[in-house]
Amino acid sequence: MPSRLSLPRALGLAALCLLALILASLLLGAGDVGLWASLQALLGHADDEARFVVLQLRWARTELALLVGLALGGAGVLLQAVTRNPLAEPGLLGVSAGASFAVVLAINLGASAASLHLGVATLGALLGCTLVLLVTQMRGVGEDPVRLVLAGAAFSGLLGALSSLLLLWDQRTADEMRFWIIGALAGRPLDTLSWSLPGLLLGLAVALPLIRPLAALALGERVASGLGHHPQLTRLGTLLAVALLVGTATAAAGPIGFIGLIVPYIARRLVGSDIRRTLGLSLLLGPCVLLFADTLSRLLVRPYELPVGVITAFVGAPILIAVIRGHRLPTL
Amino acid sequence: MSLTSLLRGAALLTAGLLLSTPLLAAARTIDGAYGSVELSGTPQRVVALGENALDAALSLGIQPLGSLASRGGSDVPHYLKAKAGTITLVGSVREPNLEAILALQPDLILASGDLPNDLYAKLSLMAPTVVPKGGTFQDWRQTYSTYALALNQSEQAEQRIAEIDTRIAALRERMPQDQQVSVVRWNPQGPFIMSSHLFVGQLLQTLGLKANELAAAQQRKPHSDIISLENLAKVDADWIFLATLNPDGRKALDDARQQPAFTRLKAVENDRVISVDGQIWSSSSGYLAAQHILDDVEKALAR
Amino acid sequence: MPRISPPLTAHCVLRLGDYSLLLHRRSSTVALFLCLALLLSSAWILAFGANGLTPWAALRAAFGQGEPMQLLLIRELRVPRLLSGLFSGAALGAAGCLLQTLARNRLATPGVIGIDNGATAFAVASIVAVPTSLAPSALALSGAATAAVLTFALAAGGGARGYRFIVVGIAIGALFGAATNLMLARADIDAANAAYPWTVGSLNARPSQAVWLLGGGLLLGLPAAKLLVRALSLMRFSDSVAIGLGVRLRLMRVLSLLLCVWLTALAVAVAGPVGLIALVAPEMARHLCARHGVPVLNAALCGALLMILADWLGRHLLAPIEIPVGIITAIVGAPYLLWILLRQSSRSSP
Repeated sequence: MPSRLSLPRALGLAALCLLALILASLLLGAGDVGLWASLQALLGHADDEARFVVLQLRWARTELALLVGLALGGAGVLLQAVTRNPLAEPGLLGVSAGASFAVVLAINLGASAASLHLGVATLGALLGCTLVLLVTQMRGVGEDPVRLVLAGAAFSGLLGALSSLLLLWDQRTADEMRFWIIGALAGRPLDTLSWSLPGLLLGLAVALPLIRPLAALALGERVASGLGHHPQLTRLGTLLAVALLVGTATAAAGPIGFIGLIVPYIARRLVGSDIRRTLGLSLLLGPCVLLFADTLSRLLVRPYELPVGVITAFVGAPILIAVIRGHRLPTL
Repeated sequence: MSLTSLLRGAALLTAGLLLSTPLLAAARTIDGAYGSVELSGTPQRVVALGENALDAALSLGIQPLGSLASRGGSDVPHYLKAKAGTITLVGSVREPNLEAILALQPDLILASGDLPNDLYAKLSLMAPTVVPKGGTFQDWRQTYSTYALALNQSEQAEQRIAEIDTRIAALRERMPQDQQVSVVRWNPQGPFIMSSHLFVGQLLQTLGLKANELAAAQQRKPHSDIISLENLAKVDADWIFLATLNPDGRKALDDARQQPAFTRLKAVENDRVISVDGQIWSSSSGYLAAQHILDDVEKALAR
Repeated sequence: MPRISPPLTAHCVLRLGDYSLLLHRRSSTVALFLCLALLLSSAWILAFGANGLTPWAALRAAFGQGEPMQLLLIRELRVPRLLSGLFSGAALGAAGCLLQTLARNRLATPGVIGIDNGATAFAVASIVAVPTSLAPSALALSGAATAAVLTFALAAGGGARGYRFIVVGIAIGALFGAATNLMLARADIDAANAAYPWTVGSLNARPSQAVWLLGGGLLLGLPAAKLLVRALSLMRFSDSVAIGLGVRLRLMRVLSLLLCVWLTALAVAVAGPVGLIALVAPEMARHLCARHGVPVLNAALCGALLMILADWLGRHLLAPIEIPVGIITAIVGAPYLLWILLRQSSRSSP
């Protein structure tokens, strides 16, 4: 590993980055309200239209990006720590597929996607994770990270196919899903934030007491047991937290990939692989990455927008390749 | 206008010729998207793949044996359901079931303009398969006439088209002057605007309604990309037809109303948003669909 | 070449003049059994469709005897579909087996390293984004090749195994996946519907040129795979063991990877992304053979069997609505995979 930053410095840097990106997110957009007009609107004197765009549309979107980024960044670190597998991504555990499936089912039963009860998707994510949890509890499968992820992949495949099957039955839903399936922060109902905030807080609350046991677990099962932690309980709790976080994020913005894979990578490069150091940093880096991608999504094809899920993939994949090329993969 | 009258003239001429030579009447060549198709006689066992083909056949009094489950659900489009009666389903729009089609032993297959080449290769082995040229931007009369010619009902098709023209002419008198309209589909991530060069746009323009600028600019794609809420004002018009694939358009309207950017639109403030069945309004074309659209417009706009 | 002497009871030697072939008894039995199952199910599928035929009439029709209706049904619809299923299933099964062994990771299917997504993205592009006269399957082939080349190039230096290759593959796959989703969201619904079979994997009305190309590719690819298997099974243990036994690691890896890409690309050009076959068929073969070898031929047979059965199921479950084969393989395959995983919980991965 190259020179690492000290934790306070890394945190400070990330916080600064985040502030700059929040500002950028408020000032830049796909519409006709330019930089200067946006600044004026922020300061309180601009015409009605500019104030509406900046203070309502962009502000709501920025808030949502913060929430979703936080959830996905945190979930990524937790998931990689608990599976001890740097490839682990919320999607691989079947969590995203579970949420997608729940949404398909809900739309199928009559709810239109935009007015979707957010709890439905969270429940679906929980279901996806519960299924994986059940598998990990069976005859020692849980001790093998590869197998755990593989089981998750199998569930993802199964739920994804079931979704496709439902969509085959009902093509009206299929047509709505075409848009939902790429995550985006645009066009979300205003009450999204108030619905999803409790999920985020709950997820973080579950994760907080697990940081120490997870760090111990990274040193090995025996060390963790020796230090008085319960490995299985730790895993269970962490996966529950991941399900809560990813479920919330997916419900709020649709499936946005790669954040949960990219953020832990950057965090590890900056401060090393100890989860006690990476988790806090990731909670700042997640919103950073998402805000950056979202701002970019508004500027690339003005006056239209790209779905942010596409941008995160296009930004995330090259970063991922660069990281994997530059360094040997750290063992977790 | 000149093109359509020219076409009508040509078609009338053809019809006249056909009538005067009854022996030749049955033999005809149809210039389709995958080359020309030779047909003779009046087909008895027709399979209509896609709602436009089904619309054409039903409006010309022909009862097809089979059709596809439409994009709107697991049955034929509901606006054709009553006329179609108990029709055999032969797969979905996405995957026509070739064996089910063969089992009906068709003597004519009417397909939509975007039938993939590989499917055409198989279908044309079973029966003459007519795929109209030009896709969704084609003048709907032309697509309709192609199907009619294949069904050996050109004369009746002329009458049908003339009925629509008469109705449009009458309705046009009752339309408000200088009004702009846009057809918008509301999706979970935001709306897009339908091109004004499609079937619905063609009808609306002959009614004397002006198209929204953004809709008029969509000359190659059926609809715009998803529009940023910051730019939502660009879809504004005197009247907005809000379409969804759900036959119940109210839901889309309710969704849209939750967006402050939507409620700021001029048409919304003036309560001039009309929710319509997106199945007909965004993808159909044909005589029956035209009557439906004219009904919708008449109900909303006519004085 | 050094010989490893296997426990003799598990093997038998087949001699043909100067050549002798060491056969693993159980795998040979399994292969025989699989071939028989393939034959029976092929006959079943040809005969019992929506329009019932006796197996005899179906067989006669396949060889050109019978009324025109039956001929059309059998020779133009069912036989091509059966062949495309057999070929693509076999290719995916063998490719999956090769790659999993090579990467020493059961997750490493052609789908995971992006080949599926590359093929889908290109095929969808040809339908919705740039309506060219180029056939989707030709573009699917080039898409698969592009994804593979990108993955190779960007993972260069890291070798064909280990995490780097897979991670780069995941990244490439995600890129193509995002591109596909974007194209579908921007397309109008008719184009999106036309592109649908390429996004889930389907055997409905596949282009015959692609099927024959795949058949030819299999004819070359499967024997090559069999030749590579010995080296591969030694490489499973560790690099030092393999080198000690005289295996030229680098060459073998490159060859196996090329072969894997070759087979997958040809298969997805026919059937689209039916990824789970590549994941499940090798598992099934390993499970049936009950040993830690590299059952590449049995994996191919399993793949073919799974594919045609899944397709048959998809055609008849909700008739007349067809369920694309990719959905069936996923729904049937995923639980099977889980079962295998749970059953051999204490054994190490290959």
